[in-house]
Amino acid sequence: MKTKSLLLAGIAASTLSGAALAAPVAKEDMVLVVSVINTTNPYMISNIEGGKALSEELGIPLEIVNSNGSSQTEIAGIMSILASGKTPIMFVNTVASSDAPTIVDAVKQAGGYVTIWWNKPADYKPQDVGDNFVAFQKIPGLSSGACGAKAIAESIGGKGNVVLLPGVPDSTTSKTRVAGFRAEIEANWPDIKILDERPSNWDPQLGARNAQDLIVKYGDQINGVWSADDGMQIGAMQSFENAGLLDKVKFASDGLYPKTLEDIQSGRGNNAIVGETFHRGYMASAVGLYTAYLAATGEIVPSELSDDKRESLFQLSCVTPGNYQQYLQYDEPGAPAAFVDRLVQNGPWATDPMPLVGGGRADASEW
Amino acid sequence: MVNHLLSRESKGPTGLILAVVALMVVFSFLNPRFASVENLQNVLFQSSVPLIIVVGATLVILMGSIDLSVQGVMGAAGMAWILITPNTRTGLDYGVWAWVIALGTGVALGLFAGLIYERLKVPSFVATLGTWYVGLGIGIMLYGNGLLPSLTNEALARWPTRLTLGIPNSFWLAGAVVVVGLVIMNYTRFGRGLLAIGNNEAIARSSGISVSRYKIMALAIAGGLSALAGILATMQLGSGSSDIGSTQLFTVIPAAVIGGTALSGGEGGVLRSSLGVFLLVILNNGLVLAGVDPDYQQGVFGLILILAIVTVAWPHRNRLKVAK
Repeated sequence: MKTKSLLLAGIAASTLSGAALAAPVAKEDMVLVVSVINTTNPYMISNIEGGKALSEELGIPLEIVNSNGSSQTEIAGIMSILASGKTPIMFVNTVASSDAPTIVDAVKQAGGYVTIWWNKPADYKPQDVGDNFVAFQKIPGLSSGACGAKAIAESIGGKGNVVLLPGVPDSTTSKTRVAGFRAEIEANWPDIKILDERPSNWDPQLGARNAQDLIVKYGDQINGVWSADDGMQIGAMQSFENAGLLDKVKFASDGLYPKTLEDIQSGRGNNAIVGETFHRGYMASAVGLYTAYLAATGEIVPSELSDDKRESLFQLSCVTPGNYQQYLQYDEPGAPAAFVDRLVQNGPWATDPMPLVGGGRADASEW
Repeated sequence: MVNHLLSRESKGPTGLILAVVALMVVFSFLNPRFASVENLQNVLFQSSVPLIIVVGATLVILMGSIDLSVQGVMGAAGMAWILITPNTRTGLDYGVWAWVIALGTGVALGLFAGLIYERLKVPSFVATLGTWYVGLGIGIMLYGNGLLPSLTNEALARWPTRLTLGIPNSFWLAGAVVVVGLVIMNYTRFGRGLLAIGNNEAIARSSGISVSRYKIMALAIAGGLSALAGILATMQLGSGSSDIGSTQLFTVIPAAVIGGTALSGGEGGVLRSSLGVFLLVILNNGLVLAGVDPDYQQGVFGLILILAIVTVAWPHRNRLKVAK
């Protein structure tokens, strides 16, 4: 009954031009929800870890929605949790941009609070929806591509040929990373030529196959290989190793997977990996959930926040063989709990290594 | 013997061979590197995993059933194998037992699907779909949240690409599987029995074939071959993943159908399905070498495929099994 009246209050409040506010939700009425695209990708597994750590820290139960790569499964899973009667505090790693409005509407109806990560339609803004859509957050893909481009270009002396392995061609994440790579080369490296680009769907095996075909096509003309994530890079490196070319080619990518870290540490292939980026799934989910939690408790009022806190870009770190050591601490056992401790102390926008760095621009989802 | 085999493979796959050759000629003109020894080795290497799977898939399809469990079995067997072969995560080395256990996992999953299919009379589509997820579940469980396991034994990691008589080892393995598949299909009672079941199960039963046992055996063999493919794919990648089989199902089933193995059963064969695999691999490889813009690659792939199939199937169009 109490939940129901809160729910009604929530709906009433949001219809009152968004200025009036729902009463703060009590902790025992909340449930944390982490919705991920699948449970096999290391990044998604890490998203879940972040949810678990925050759940322990705040003493609020956690529910996981595994979308299994399907928007339908994702929405059905979220709906069933919304029907449970508790107030959902949600982090959603959307399967497709177009899922965001449907999910947000349902959460709003249920009086919950949601933060969307990575994908949403560009013109669908939290500011226009109201306080229940607390924020859209992401790490800028453009910076990721730029990190990789700079690292490869420097390592081959500013001159040579590179090939690119993007992810799923129509994913915003892949598109922005590729755009960042191309922009950096165009702006600063006139003697670097992009020979070819073969989307490899985030799949290590497809990355390996495409790399084999590119080796046959260009042979030793290839000086650098950039992949939109480490999974595809792992496949590509294996192909270059098989072809006896690993020692002569430089690689850069995104994610700093444990396997990649190992290869940097061991100097595999004459220090083949020259650039990486660092961000962890547990940080994204913890920041997303905690932002929504603060809105639910009334500690922040989303409609009073500045635009960059509604459509937010968080810092991405460029990693090189020279500085990778400083990121090892974030993969140690207990690292998610330690991050969550600092998150609760410093708030969602000022926690290292992922502070807020920008956002609020009209095209934040295209960054 | 070759002629005999070709004629046994239902009307002879001459059209299909011509289609593959025509594609190769066109791609060689578009990029001379296509016909290089290096690329032919590359094509053979890339064909190995789907070839091994297609042999098992064909046995099952010929008897009018279907095996959808491929990717799950590959994930389970690949993970089982790498975790007990020298790797960066567990430090275990079971030697030859790693192969036995991994292949056994595949056979067991195949038997599981076969028993559900045959004893509980659940359609193979459903029984093997369920087995897919059971296999994937085992793979994910083994994968856990730990480090990505990578092979530490250089010799093993290099084995699939290493050349023997100019041909990659992985293809020798796939070739051997195809030959064994051909022999089973054409020269054993079991093979003929599968075809008979696909043609008409009631007649096969009345002529004394143990239909139930044959069906279970075919699915167990397919499971074993998917497991072998999972191990080979893991070796090729040098790392284990529960997703190691990703997208293989949609290479292999179309390859069998393109080759002329009818989904209704009783028609086609291992050789035709293998040619279907080559057609798909060459098409993908050729489009990359020809420099087709990645934005158009999928579309061009589909168009050329339809063109090739229509050309190959034109003389037989009245006899095609799929009428609607």
